[in-house]
Amino acid sequence: MGDAAIISTVFLETIGYWWVIIPTIFLGLIVGGIPGFSAANTIIILMPLTLAMDLQMGLVFMVSLYCAARMGAGIPAILVNIPGTAGAAATPLDGYPMTKQGRGQQALAISFVASSLGGLLTTIIAIAAMPLLARVGFYMHSVEMIVVMLFGISLIASIAAQDMLKGLIAGFFGLMLGAIGTDVVYATPRGTMGFLELYDGVPLIPALVGLFAVSEAFIIIEKRVILTKKGQEAMENPSWAATFEGVRDALTRWTHICWTSVIGLIIGVIPGAGASIASFVAYQQSRTFSKTPEKYGTGHIEGLVAPESANNGVTSGTLVPLLVLGIPGGATAAIMLVVMQYHGVSFGPSLFQQDPKVGYGMFIAMAVSYFLMILTIIPLSRYMSRVTTVPTIYLAPMIISFTLVGAFVPREYMFDMYLALAFGVVGYIARRTGYHVAAILIGVILGPLLETYFLRALKKSEGDIMVLFSSTLGNILWVALVVSLVLPIVFERRRKKKEIVIQ
Amino acid sequence: MTKLKMNRRTLLGTGLAASAMSLATPGILRAAAYPERNLSVYIPTREGGGADRNFRAFSSIWKDKLGAEFEPGFYPGASGRVGYEIYMGKAEPDAYNLIFGNMGPEVLNWAVQAPTFDINDYFYFGRVDTDPGCAFVGAESAFQSIDQIVEEGKKRTLTVGTSRMAHPASIGILALGEATGAKFNLIPLSGGKNTVAGAVTGEVDFSVLTSGSVISAGDSVRTMLVFGENKVGDALDNAQNINDAFDMDLPEMLSSRAFGIHKAAADNHPDRFEKLVSTFNATFEDPALLESYVAARGTPEYLNRGGVEECGQFVKDMLELGERYKPLLTGA
Repeated sequence: MGDAAIISTVFLETIGYWWVIIPTIFLGLIVGGIPGFSAANTIIILMPLTLAMDLQMGLVFMVSLYCAARMGAGIPAILVNIPGTAGAAATPLDGYPMTKQGRGQQALAISFVASSLGGLLTTIIAIAAMPLLARVGFYMHSVEMIVVMLFGISLIASIAAQDMLKGLIAGFFGLMLGAIGTDVVYATPRGTMGFLELYDGVPLIPALVGLFAVSEAFIIIEKRVILTKKGQEAMENPSWAATFEGVRDALTRWTHICWTSVIGLIIGVIPGAGASIASFVAYQQSRTFSKTPEKYGTGHIEGLVAPESANNGVTSGTLVPLLVLGIPGGATAAIMLVVMQYHGVSFGPSLFQQDPKVGYGMFIAMAVSYFLMILTIIPLSRYMSRVTTVPTIYLAPMIISFTLVGAFVPREYMFDMYLALAFGVVGYIARRTGYHVAAILIGVILGPLLETYFLRALKKSEGDIMVLFSSTLGNILWVALVVSLVLPIVFERRRKKKEIVIQ
Repeated sequence: MTKLKMNRRTLLGTGLAASAMSLATPGILRAAAYPERNLSVYIPTREGGGADRNFRAFSSIWKDKLGAEFEPGFYPGASGRVGYEIYMGKAEPDAYNLIFGNMGPEVLNWAVQAPTFDINDYFYFGRVDTDPGCAFVGAESAFQSIDQIVEEGKKRTLTVGTSRMAHPASIGILALGEATGAKFNLIPLSGGKNTVAGAVTGEVDFSVLTSGSVISAGDSVRTMLVFGENKVGDALDNAQNINDAFDMDLPEMLSSRAFGIHKAAADNHPDRFEKLVSTFNATFEDPALLESYVAARGTPEYLNRGGVEECGQFVKDMLELGERYKPLLTGA
């Protein structure tokens, strides 16, 4: 049977599992939306069920859950400034301001369309170019990844543009927090202050929910609702029109969805890289090449489209090294590997000779899930957005209790709940004094990854710093980084010159 | 028939005895009914790895013998130290909390960096397997044999991926370097999956790891050398034992997964500990264990039961090995 025949057979079989996919999509949205829960720990919890299913049903179940959880993480990020996972950390930068303006319904619709189309597109690309994509990991080693990290970290400078000193202080503060924990070479504890819970670094979920959500809860309690006055007027008469407006806004930016989701796909296929890196890099690139960079952070549509397309692009990307090389690209892919091995499937170069239906089946399941998500999730945006009209006297305590539970769940340490509260206080002070919490968070998320790749590169070169410029691809990326940092400055000067000429 | 005489003193004495019995009964029953709830198992590595697979395969049989479920909790970080510190610092020593660790790298860790607790306050009582480390390359590597690697290592320093610095396989390759004059630079890649990925994608020249994890990586990798006996032949590409290949006398560089328990739990609840040991041993007698390992894509050849004594000896050997190689593993 040829590849095309296998794909069409598997496609028809997967469609037949619609009754598994649709409930799983809703389950995925719930677990993705609750901070601390994820597709990975849900698959672990439901492992006995997954193992009891036949191979194809188990595969369809896991893949649908994975895709839906990724999309679900964006919902609380947009509506109440709580990113469900680190992969959605860039989503509230523009999603939440849209909500405050009363455009929560549009923002959700944009996020759903960008996520689904980004996921669908990258899945198709992954099927078509799998052998080629699997090669990306062969070229992206520690040196190249240092530059990729710097793309994301350079976002601090963009955020700092309004107040450079405060922005950079916030960014460095985040990087310092990110350096807490044992070092990656000799496992020597640094800055842990005697807390065992910090040996593995500052845990991401408490930092994420503390800085974004808890501090937001402290702020919104000072108001009656989270919406601005204009936003309240806009939300008074909810209609389907707002959903259609969001869908249209996203569809008219289809090129943006395409290229930012491809960034996600490429970062996703690199073993060890993940959605948090991809969403920040996509956001930074989107801002760099935008004609209106000053609008980012104020509820700009492209600023929402970029991270949502990218983090769903990662979803298909992480499956490529798993299927072609036998290396799971992320935590969820690693759990899938365990389950599939129980079913007797061997991943690696021979998978497509021995079990082509499994290989293609995972991507087909992904494509079908994204397609069904478009149909089932978009209509919900109208109802989900109503949460923003809840008075803050109810909403703020709910956010705090919800996020504290979320902080506890991944590691089940009480310490993490206290840490989320501490980050909440830090975030509140930062907001009140004009420091950007996103700059702190970028440092906390990307700092440890940058350090890991940096120390690895230095260890490989036995301490020679010139290793940073030792690879051709790395040097090309360095040039691209410099260009992407300089371009906005050039564009800004041109724009100012034009304004002067017009005046 | 003697008539039972009941006076006030007898009545009071009997009442007291009956009350004492009533109060003590739940305790007695509790001991007899152990386990009356599920057991928590602390695993100091990430889910989805070799320990996860191994734990699930073993506990799926053991739970029926013990009559309780095993609930794993994964506490990775700091080369396994986080899991042990949490277990020793936070878990109640009541025989309802066990640790499932790898006696090779994790004990080696204690020699390199002492933990905050006394390492004599816990001990391993149930060894599940012994798994030799090995050196392997990615499927597309230009290296075809260990001799080529050694020859190249004499010309330039080769980068060697390892899951953590303090690992028996790391010691194996350093010993090979000492014996042959080849230069190897260990690069810690944080975990087994990343170590495989490092070799496959060419981030490092080759990697060293527990061979069970290398076998499960399938045809993405080719094994070049085993730091011990190759019990699985073709599954490790018929790679030679280091001692045979280079005329060395190195002890086997083994990983060995085992269940451990607080010393206080075993001392204070000898009945519970006895039940754990007896059911652990019964698990090994059950042919279903082999089937479970095969189903989980584990390596049944590595199953190797060991009790308190064997585990104690293994720990002692590892601590000695760690002391010997401490300068190389700590960069001191």
